Amino acid sequence: MSYRIHRGIALLAPLFAVLMFALPVRAQQVVTVWSHWADQESKVKFVEEAARRFEAKNPGTQVKITWYQKNPLFQALQSALRAGQGPDVFYMDPDRVEYVENKLILPLNDHLNWNNIEPWARGPWTHAGQTYALPLEVQTIELYYNKEQMKKLGVTIPADGRLNQTQFLDLVKKATAAGVTPVVQGVADRDFPGAYLLHEMLLKKLGEDDYGKLMNGKLSFKDKRVVDVFTYMKQLIDAGVYPKSFSSMTLGESHPYFYSKPGGLMLPMGSWYTSRAFNAPEKGGQPDNFPLGIMQFPVPDGAACPQCKTNGVAGSFVINAATKQPKLAAAFLNEMATPEMGTKWLVENLVQTGVKSDPNAVKGKHAEYFKELAARNADVKYFTGIPITHMRGQCLDTYKQVMNTGFPAGLLPVDRAISMMDAACYKA
Amino acid sequence: MATLALPLRPSFTQRVTAWFARSEGDAPWRTVMLFMTPALAVYALFTAYPVFRTLWNSFHTIKPGNIEAFVGWDNYTRLFTSDPVFYTAVTNTLIWAFVAPFLDVLVGLVLALALYAGVRGTRFFRVAWFTPVLISYVVVAIMWMWIYNYDWGAVNVLLRAVGLSSWTRAWLGTPDTALPALIITHAWKWAGFNMVVCLAALHALPKEVLEAAELDNCGWWAKVAHVIVPMIKPTLLNLVILSFIGKMKIFDLVWIMTRGGPLWSTETVSTYVYKRAFEWNTFDLGYPSAVAVVWFAVVIGCVLLLSWAFRQRDRLEY
Repeated sequence: MSYRIHRGIALLAPLFAVLMFALPVRAQQVVTVWSHWADQESKVKFVEEAARRFEAKNPGTQVKITWYQKNPLFQALQSALRAGQGPDVFYMDPDRVEYVENKLILPLNDHLNWNNIEPWARGPWTHAGQTYALPLEVQTIELYYNKEQMKKLGVTIPADGRLNQTQFLDLVKKATAAGVTPVVQGVADRDFPGAYLLHEMLLKKLGEDDYGKLMNGKLSFKDKRVVDVFTYMKQLIDAGVYPKSFSSMTLGESHPYFYSKPGGLMLPMGSWYTSRAFNAPEKGGQPDNFPLGIMQFPVPDGAACPQCKTNGVAGSFVINAATKQPKLAAAFLNEMATPEMGTKWLVENLVQTGVKSDPNAVKGKHAEYFKELAARNADVKYFTGIPITHMRGQCLDTYKQVMNTGFPAGLLPVDRAISMMDAACYKA
Repeated sequence: MATLALPLRPSFTQRVTAWFARSEGDAPWRTVMLFMTPALAVYALFTAYPVFRTLWNSFHTIKPGNIEAFVGWDNYTRLFTSDPVFYTAVTNTLIWAFVAPFLDVLVGLVLALALYAGVRGTRFFRVAWFTPVLISYVVVAIMWMWIYNYDWGAVNVLLRAVGLSSWTRAWLGTPDTALPALIITHAWKWAGFNMVVCLAALHALPKEVLEAAELDNCGWWAKVAHVIVPMIKPTLLNLVILSFIGKMKIFDLVWIMTRGGPLWSTETVSTYVYKRAFEWNTFDLGYPSAVAVVWFAVVIGCVLLLSWAFRQRDRLEY
């Protein structure tokens, strides 16, 4: 090489050394988050607000959120976590106990500010004394209805919101005769909504204790009370309670079906209904003047607990047990777990939360909805967890095919549905 | 004084080239292996290793964090003695695999014959009929879910328009119609591929034989039945076998359109393996690996059986 090139390198080398070692190089810390709710604008805004607040309090730290639909999220997590990878923080539902059993998520007893969390919200996430998640979203299972449609059918909902089974069957027949879908539901992409009506009536009929036994395989599905509820449910199905597109309609499609296209009478849904319905109409939300009402599920004859209702923790956030920055991840969760953020969640999503919050802060056009929701839950006794939270393995798969899809779609007679559930779930 | 001329030492490049050129017999095996090594490495890593690893897993309970517990034949015993869903999945998959290939190839052959006969707009139809092959399974599945929708799908709208409202149903929501609906969707997607292969075979036929048939006053349909189809039989049989193998592994379309429902009426072995691996509230991969190994053996056996059954007994001479 020529002398000039050698001289050039000799001059530049010290400069590079100075640039590389003398100038301070700050590596930014990144907290990765994978979350459901990709199409639920208000929840996306909430989590991103928490991220911005966290970044402001922790300079040099960035929160990188990837938004998913639920099923793809769980598929991505399954692959990543098996390989010891995955994000620092991710969305999780409490029925996914395999993540706890396989030690894939961190116990958070020593990481979260539990004074800011409602004690009852810890239950579904507590195993062997350890709580594994921030229970951000809490739900109650509600029966929403169209007040105007109900009036047109000439039916008045009692003050306590409860119809008995005769009245409810009569309502279904009236709706069908008027060409209105009585209960809108779609199960194409979810494993639980098709059984809402059925399991709420089972809960009321059996009471909390025996219903819990049924869910956990300690009570036979051939119990006469269970058979009575299935038989009544069959009457509803034969009366056309669900739309014909029940099996192929997605949960997202059931919302606009209920409130506008073509419109239905009732919609059983978790109280997170509002996170879709209260979006702008052009983004899939209900029309501004939609006459939304809330009633109770029908009370079967001889019900042991007419006022029972299912609640549960829904969307939660957990920390990957393989994360290299657990303290940072926990700090991000704590950013969401403050009374201020809890109230913000309540006001913006109108969905209950496990974080302590101030319900009186809900004002504006949706304040009436929240008052009605609170009123419908005033005299209620809760059973925590929908069936998929309690069932496992073959029982769970059979529940998905039978109670969630096949039986409500009218594909199975009562005795066949009962015997299939009993064979899969009852641990004699 | 004479200078001793020492032989020049060969360069590194020359020595390497000489080593590869040195061969035993006719084939330069060292050179061949050099070029084949990358492809073999990819094959070993992404095909052979997963197969053997799955076999290994099937004799263990596999949990995250490389936790393995040897269980012997337990997984296979449970599979064959106490898993009714597996048998339902096998039945559905075999129905699909033995019915759909003939539908696929028949439709492809009919389309190819139409193009071969020189219908108007041949170029347009060739492109139009081949286009579904280029569309991804996800798009095809979503499109056909709309077509089959009970309320506003094209099928039911058409039936109502022609006064056949009683024939409308939830095509994907009824056990009797869900599997046929999926088979039709799959046939629609792959008809173009079979058409192209059949068309190539038709164009490769010797003209003299076809002209001789015409001279003998052989009509179009007779020519197809007695001359053309027998001559392209090897192509048709290869397509049937390829289609059969594809159907035995079918997953994408089923997963997106029905996820194996309603009531397991569209459950295939692949979707069942997926559910056992990822949706069973456990992280165990051992049991689904056993299902996969059994099915691998079944597919190999069926392919060998079909190949033997469809072997060319008489060689066609023309």
